[in-house]
Amino acid sequence: MSWPVTRIALRLRLTSTVSAAVGLIAVMLMVGALFPAVGHTIGKLDIPSSVANLLGGADYGTITGWFRSEIAVIYAPLVIGALAITGASAATAGEEEDRILALVLAHPIRRSRLVVAKAAAIAVVVLIVAFAVWVGLLAGVAVGGGGISVGHITALAVQLAFFGLAIGAVALALGAGTGSRSLANAVAAAVAVLSWLVNSFAPLVSAIDWLKYLSPFYYYAGHDPLTRGVGITGLVVLGLVALALTAAAAVAFDRRDLRA
Amino acid sequence: MIAASGLSKDYGSGRGLFGLDLEVAPGEVFGFLGPNGAGKSTTMRLLLDLIRPTSGSARVLGLDTRKDSVEIRRRIGFLPGDLALYPKLTGRAVLDYLGQLRGGVDKRVRDALAERFDADLDRPVRQLSTGNRQKLGLIQAFMHEPELLILDEPIAGLDPLVQQSFHALLQEVSSEGRTVFLSSHTLSEVERVTQRLAILRQGRLVVVDSLENLRKVAVQRIEIEFAERVPAQVFRALPGVREVEAKELTVTISFEGSADAVVKAAAAHEVRAIRPREDDLEDIFLRYYREEPA
Repeated sequence: MSWPVTRIALRLRLTSTVSAAVGLIAVMLMVGALFPAVGHTIGKLDIPSSVANLLGGADYGTITGWFRSEIAVIYAPLVIGALAITGASAATAGEEEDRILALVLAHPIRRSRLVVAKAAAIAVVVLIVAFAVWVGLLAGVAVGGGGISVGHITALAVQLAFFGLAIGAVALALGAGTGSRSLANAVAAAVAVLSWLVNSFAPLVSAIDWLKYLSPFYYYAGHDPLTRGVGITGLVVLGLVALALTAAAAVAFDRRDLRA
Repeated sequence: MIAASGLSKDYGSGRGLFGLDLEVAPGEVFGFLGPNGAGKSTTMRLLLDLIRPTSGSARVLGLDTRKDSVEIRRRIGFLPGDLALYPKLTGRAVLDYLGQLRGGVDKRVRDALAERFDADLDRPVRQLSTGNRQKLGLIQAFMHEPELLILDEPIAGLDPLVQQSFHALLQEVSSEGRTVFLSSHTLSEVERVTQRLAILRQGRLVVVDSLENLRKVAVQRIEIEFAERVPAQVFRALPGVREVEAKELTVTISFEGSADAVVKAAAAHEVRAIRPREDDLEDIFLRYYREEPA
């Protein structure tokens, strides 16, 4: 670890993180405010289950279903994934492409420590966004008339944070391993979207149902934290993935030439 | 201070650095010369462990560049050739950060350097000109008073006044017994500050010698404008002269070593102007660049 590295990485991401956090809270307040008026009239959509799965069940008749479909399965993971991915690739491959790392690494810091310090900064970004989701859900649910327990809201935020850490670690490992920001962004984003699609579609076909176990999204939302609380297995899997990929990032970065 | 033995980095298709053997002694200001792409930056990046050698090895401050890299980097100052800094941060924030990476530096040294170079520390880096950014690069390289400075093209982009303060700084550093290893692609940039020079060509070392000795074989080119036509033959037979070209009233003469004979021959005619020609290294060190490496 190196605190100066973490601090500077955070400082450079703070504006985007805070604006995303504020935006999330505002959107969740609006979503909550819309529920009493709109939710009951929409009710449970009569749509094919493949589409319904993409929308987290598409049950707009209950406040839990409303928030699951509006926030939990798309909006929150999209925001946290985007910030984790862009942050992780900018902090490693981005600085390398911008030739800043050549100067930073002329200072007495081990490459592995640099990677871990950058990972810590991304983790803080993820936690800020997850905290904003927690605050936004508490407020949004209250505005919508209540109906989801604080425990279940907390469970979603925790599960979401771990999802963000894992997806961010994908970008971190790719960025540190290759030095290419665009590759890290593109591949990590593809992993995130694929994992969402796989989690939604795999369960519909029993032959490929097992595929969902490969999807980080499944370990985030498969347990349905808004109704069933924290899914320990999911947290353990996502946590291990994040740790393993961060370690891989440190090792890979240590072994290669810095880009010219 | 620096000892490379057989240091190589093969990038394929003939690019890179091949079998570099080099010794830089303590207290020297050592110039590392070569045209762009000759392998100067590659050498410096190898010394800093930013890239790893294909073969060979190097020691810096007596330490192995691979195993003891962190310790080496603690004790040296480095200016990259294509310096880049965080565009959004001010110069001061950048220097604070880099100082923290060294576990803190004496702010008085930093501020004295900033004053010396007249650097603007309060504007974001993206608003600074290349020259002003380069000042920040120099400050960060010198601010912890390192034993050894590795400077890649330090003079690029500096205005003449700042170049002067930089030269003065190098002299001070050298008189304190500290060592400077600096690269350049033009002789004129380094001839005022270095004692010894190495010349690199396509990744291979062609010569290491004192500035004095290299000057003797360096080809100078001057352009003399006369009041009347002066035939080229006047200069052709003079000692050291390699090439003469007469065009209208102007004669261009290339010669090795002393300018004395040429100037005296010219003085027999009415001279309107004398202009030195800034040449590439290849033209100055024809004898090294013409020979194909074995």
